[in-house]
Amino acid sequence: MTDQDAASRAIDKQQALAEFGRYVNPQKVRVLRTAGLDIVEGRRSGAWVWDVDGTRYLDCFTSAGSFNVGRRHPRVVAAAKAALDELDHGNFLLASAQKAELAHRLADLAPGDLTCTTFGTGGGEAVDFALKVARGSTGRPRIVSTVNGYHGHTGFALSAGGRDTFREPFEPLMPEFAFVPFGDADALRDAVDERTAGVILEPIQGEGGIVVPPEGYLAAARQTCDATGALLILDEIQTGFGRTGRWFASEHEGVVPDVMTVAKSLGGSLAAISATIYTEDVREFLIPHPFIHLSTFGGSDLACAIALATIDVIADEGLVENAARMGARLHDGLSAVAAEYSDVIAQTRGRGLMAGLKYREDSFGPRMSYHLSRHGVLAFYSGNEPSVMRLMPSLVVTADDVDYLLGALEAAVKDARSGAGPDDAPTTRQRRRPQRAAATP
Amino acid sequence: MATWDEIAEALDDYTVTCNGNERLRKMQRDWTRQLHFVCSDTGDTFSMDVRSGEIVATPPGHVGVPDIVVTADSETFCDMFWGDLNPMPKYLRGEIQVRGSQEDVMRLDAISYVIWPDA
Repeated sequence: MTDQDAASRAIDKQQALAEFGRYVNPQKVRVLRTAGLDIVEGRRSGAWVWDVDGTRYLDCFTSAGSFNVGRRHPRVVAAAKAALDELDHGNFLLASAQKAELAHRLADLAPGDLTCTTFGTGGGEAVDFALKVARGSTGRPRIVSTVNGYHGHTGFALSAGGRDTFREPFEPLMPEFAFVPFGDADALRDAVDERTAGVILEPIQGEGGIVVPPEGYLAAARQTCDATGALLILDEIQTGFGRTGRWFASEHEGVVPDVMTVAKSLGGSLAAISATIYTEDVREFLIPHPFIHLSTFGGSDLACAIALATIDVIADEGLVENAARMGARLHDGLSAVAAEYSDVIAQTRGRGLMAGLKYREDSFGPRMSYHLSRHGVLAFYSGNEPSVMRLMPSLVVTADDVDYLLGALEAAVKDARSGAGPDDAPTTRQRRRPQRAAATP
Repeated sequence: MATWDEIAEALDDYTVTCNGNERLRKMQRDWTRQLHFVCSDTGDTFSMDVRSGEIVATPPGHVGVPDIVVTADSETFCDMFWGDLNPMPKYLRGEIQVRGSQEDVMRLDAISYVIWPDA
């Protein structure tokens, strides 16, 4: 890159940030800038992303696990270009070959007898429909969710979110939602009754701080639902498509839900698409109501073509197996770093390439995001648990990438412990604080 | 080191500035919190009672059950409440420590942005 190119890109970056601040949210830019995360994404490829100023980062946030096949995977990009030559969104009231093929593929991939699909554009929409179909299918009102659970920001999905901060400004939300501690099978059993339409769980809480439940928890949830006639809904939006070393995280326990939601990585980093996958039994409700839930862009033909290519890449390139291998390497390395810096890191947790680092102090979440960015790693703390750093790189990462992450992590911990950080921002106006009177001798 | 009188003067100014800012009051109307502050150098402590976005009291000592506990040196608190200091760099260096939710930390920074956009 020439000096002129660099200068030009730097100007583009400042212009982008200024316009983003003016037309989107100035405080968002201020927070990101102060935190050293005022990155304007430019080039993106595989497990890496570049700021427009040329700085390269290993992407360990991946839009909360949206880039399992990496960013702009060449086969997915080629499929998207080919689809653009002959397709568009398609008509949401009509059938299409792309929708049919993707629904068939998902039925083949999904565990057990989950063979029916309704498409959407994002995770929240998929959860909205899962909860609607649970109520419609059972004729019951009550939904049981978990404290610190995260299922999206739309109507039903937000109502199922287990964090007051996200819910309170918008109340009243949907009625008849109850919350129990995640991982507590007894509390779940006590909360579910004959009025319960569904229980919604993440197999591993993502925004809640990469919380892996005790072994047998999902199986116990399955038993509780079977005993009461409630539907078990598993939200695999962050955990699905290989993230944990299996196609879907529920497979670790061999549990088959009645309804499963997927999104994020289904779009291969290029398309907005989600799916709610359910059993034929659940679908009975939709036989007399085939048009009761519609989505103009949900499962667009373009997005379906991209999703099909994405699934092919995950299967053909062995990315599920790579997530298990690289995940083991990552967890071994994290454990070593945690042991070395036990004054800062309290715990490591997760499964496959869904890893969490719990710091001893809340402020280390934001502080470590800052320091990791200085060492070429993009990572954020969990939305519902700021003391936990979430590490969810693409499933295409190599052993070198994992080692790079571990090296950066160790360097960042050292920097944070030393009190390094951004300089005080210069004030552009006169100080307001009165001058202190001279000390009396 | 700043004296308690200096901190109290800064707090009084901060209270008047915040409560007199209509934009901020509207923005913060859903924010009710009890904040505790600890001066790491002098040992002084004080509280801030915020109800529906209005600062209703800033007494010395710790009053009630805190939602947020902020620890920093006394000079930092003075500069912060006078609006002469953007607290985020110090927070990221660990010189200001906050126990509480990250959303509340963002709120505190947003207050600074609204009342002192040039700080």
